[in-house]
Amino acid sequence: MTGPKEEFFRGGRSVMPILIGLMPFAVVFGFAMKDASMTGPQSTFFSLSLLAGASQLAAVHLYAAKTPALIIIATVIAINLRYSMYSLSLQDLFQKRSFGERLFAAFIVSDQSYAFTMTEVEKNPQNSLITFFFLGASVCIYMTWLAGIFLGYNLGTIIPAGLSLDFAIPLVFMSLLIPHLKGRDRQISALSGAVAAIILVPVLPLNSGLLVAMITGICCGMAYSSVKKKKVD
Amino acid sequence: MYYYLLFAVIALSSLVIKGLFLCFIPPHKIPPFFEKTLRYIPPAALSALVAPSIIYAKGAEGMVISSPRILAGGLAFLVAMKSRNIFVTIVSGMILLWAFSCFVPF
Repeated sequence: MTGPKEEFFRGGRSVMPILIGLMPFAVVFGFAMKDASMTGPQSTFFSLSLLAGASQLAAVHLYAAKTPALIIIATVIAINLRYSMYSLSLQDLFQKRSFGERLFAAFIVSDQSYAFTMTEVEKNPQNSLITFFFLGASVCIYMTWLAGIFLGYNLGTIIPAGLSLDFAIPLVFMSLLIPHLKGRDRQISALSGAVAAIILVPVLPLNSGLLVAMITGICCGMAYSSVKKKKVD
Repeated sequence: MYYYLLFAVIALSSLVIKGLFLCFIPPHKIPPFFEKTLRYIPPAALSALVAPSIIYAKGAEGMVISSPRILAGGLAFLVAMKSRNIFVTIVSGMILLWAFSCFVPF
């Protein structure tokens, strides 16, 4: 039997592989803030007040281009809408937690910690200390993110883009995806989500292709399972 | 001052989205339809995150189709299915990408 502390550290250790891919992204974001002539306190404020990498990078680019505030805010919201689905997905795990704890979980959740947590749930549905696993994974990712921003802001783009280390992120998500492919309905959901993302992400504005692709995948999986049920009836 | 106001609004609105169902909409207020989506959120979300970053490389002029990425990503997926191990998948995927980048020029 393991305790909360062990689960926290197990969560932290489990995300180590993705840090290789996350670090260069954080460095690029840190450098982008410097490039946008944001001051130290300003970039510290932005790094500490929100954890949502892709939208933050977009916000900094728009801010640097003197875009009207409403457009910056709308862009960030559009990019972050997928988090509401993670929020729905995580709700059950946090049922017994206080409002403050749930708010902190909402603050610190990222694509990465969500993915690792749901894969852990898929592998060990009985894990009653899953919230500690989530916390360990999330804190580890947030700390790495902040460290990368600090390096990028102060030292510039120190990680050569030629190494393509960003490729480590889809590689990790890929192996996290495998346990979720049990059942034909979920395979169809994953396949349609992937195809929709390949078509839509490059063409739809404000990164909204990603959200539309996720919804497409969810709907295709549900449609398949309801057609299947009707045939059985 | 404009800066802090703007970025505080950004942080707060994002927190509301991130906590929408965790903090603000209680389980009994969620329509039953949403419960059926739960099973599909992880596979749909993960594959939608993965697929574009395997097919396209981010260049100066936006997203371009990258054959080294497609080849390395496709083979890495087979490795991921066989090995079920994240480290093995990363190491083989990165080595394949570097190798293909040397031999496949676009």
